[in-house]
Amino acid sequence: MNHICVGDKGEQSAALYLRKLGYKIIAANYRASTGEIDIIARDKEYLVFVEVKTRRSLACGSPAEAVNVKKQQKIIKTALCYLNQHKLTDHDCRFDILEIYLLPGAIKYNHIINAFGS
Amino acid sequence: MFAQTYGSTTLGLDGVLITVEVDIAKGIPGLDIVGLPDTAVRESRERVRAAIKNSGFEFPARRITVNLAPADIKKDSPGLDLPIAIGILAASGHVDPLQCRSQVFAGELSLQGRLRGITGIVAMAANCRSYGLSNMIVAPDNAQEALLADLTVYAPASLSDIVAHLSGVKLLEPVAAQLAVSSSLDTALDFADVQGQLVAKRAIEIAAAGFHNVLMVGPPGSGKTMLAKRIPSILPAMTSQEALEVTKIYSVAGLLKNNTGLVSDRPFRSPHHTVSTAGMIGGGTIPRPGEATLSHNGVLFLDELPEFPRAVLEVLRQPLEDGEVTISRVHASLSFPAKLMLIAALNPCPCGFSSDPSRECSCTASDIRRYQKRISGPLLDRIDITIHVPRLEYSDLVKTAPQESSSDIRQRVEAARLIQQQRLKQFGLYANAQMQHKQIKKLCRLAPDAVSLLKQAFTKLNLSARGFDRVIKVAQTVADLSGSTQIEAGHIAEAIQYRNEFQVISRK
Repeated sequence: MNHICVGDKGEQSAALYLRKLGYKIIAANYRASTGEIDIIARDKEYLVFVEVKTRRSLACGSPAEAVNVKKQQKIIKTALCYLNQHKLTDHDCRFDILEIYLLPGAIKYNHIINAFGS
Repeated sequence: MFAQTYGSTTLGLDGVLITVEVDIAKGIPGLDIVGLPDTAVRESRERVRAAIKNSGFEFPARRITVNLAPADIKKDSPGLDLPIAIGILAASGHVDPLQCRSQVFAGELSLQGRLRGITGIVAMAANCRSYGLSNMIVAPDNAQEALLADLTVYAPASLSDIVAHLSGVKLLEPVAAQLAVSSSLDTALDFADVQGQLVAKRAIEIAAAGFHNVLMVGPPGSGKTMLAKRIPSILPAMTSQEALEVTKIYSVAGLLKNNTGLVSDRPFRSPHHTVSTAGMIGGGTIPRPGEATLSHNGVLFLDELPEFPRAVLEVLRQPLEDGEVTISRVHASLSFPAKLMLIAALNPCPCGFSSDPSRECSCTASDIRRYQKRISGPLLDRIDITIHVPRLEYSDLVKTAPQESSSDIRQRVEAARLIQQQRLKQFGLYANAQMQHKQIKKLCRLAPDAVSLLKQAFTKLNLSARGFDRVIKVAQTVADLSGSTQIEAGHIAEAIQYRNEFQVISRK
């Protein structure tokens, strides 16, 4: 299983996990010139931009650590593109990080709500 | 949603009331602080976020804008953490916004949500009072300071306590003023420890009574430092107004310790001779008080005077003359009070023994001249009393006879000061050293034989006009100490002894 497969598997299970929480998935892998957002979902009044990070081991540090300031800015810019495109700029929104650990025989989730902002 | 509350910062020695406005809007979540915050305030973002979260409240995932008004003053107090946090909690509905409009908040937040003390609370509290705000919420460490301004003070331990208080769940008790700790003047350094040096002690008594500046000259180890350190113990106790001034300065400088209220002891500052000019009179982009201001209403002791850089000594001329320091920088021009008693100590020559009859001096005449030239004439001109402190004789050193204690001397000094205050009240002065030529002419009454002695001295000793005034000022203090209503010849004679004739010192 290469790293792209790992990522895809992670994002699939992330969508399942969020649906179970009652989120409504609006878009997956939204692309703009500034970057990509893994999942856009609706949680009650919030529009949630979710960055999914999948790991098979902790050898490279925790998944959320990989979402550094630079990556955050990229996600925020992309989110602004989305909001502008859909005329949603005056809407409550939030940025979450969903860590996924693909362990042998089990999948663990760590959902960081409101992980970052501008 | 919008909320408004009050915080405070300091500018020089004055408090500035800051209106903290918080708006929470929809959009990309974030926290922006606008209104000229400096680094300490900008960093409060992270402290406030953590403190709110760790106090059990949800940090709103919204676009938060904090505005600090007035916008043209640089805000450098970490004490703005608390009003910002309260503003956010009010705007997000955890606290009733109306509840926090009538009080001032000042405290730094720990990540855990506990309140930490900050500097400058005395000045901030006095300023709140003038705006008619009567409630102040501060950290427990600052409670006694805030009480000095006659406010209702609450000192909760943590952010959640404040929320409980403001929402009426669990009201806090206003802090009660601690009874002032008895003045430690009597237990500290005492003149009873100093054997011998009766002449020097007498001169210091006169200096303390008239708030005269003193220059002590003597070989190393003769007790100059020992004498200087005991001067605050014979100065009259501070009036409540003076004590408040000193407390304000120490509060801004962050030198108040252990939640003390009013500072009751007169300051004694003894900066090392490597001090910079900014350290001496104050400085910085936003000026902060220096040693001269920290010794306001007290003693500034400069040991080894010639070792101080010339520039540092020259900047003392303004405070010695006007009793205040004005510092101008790009951001602000501020005045700090600096009514101080300057006590300087030096050796007569580089080796220190040229005035010692029993020990050979190893300095050449040019060495001595160069050494003494390091101190400028204008500075010496502002020193009223010069004392020679000789090396102690063996017989003095081993004497066990009880010496006069500081409290006895202080009684005489206080009596003399009272006479001066009554005489000088009309000019807004309180000590003879502050008299100008005009006041000397008007107030100092000389006996006929004193006039003739003064005339003789003026011609014989080549006194300058300023030197002449100085002799009369010191003589007036001697007269006040002896309770005499006019200056007698004896008082003039004693004052002439203390006149500042620096070159004489090196002569054997």
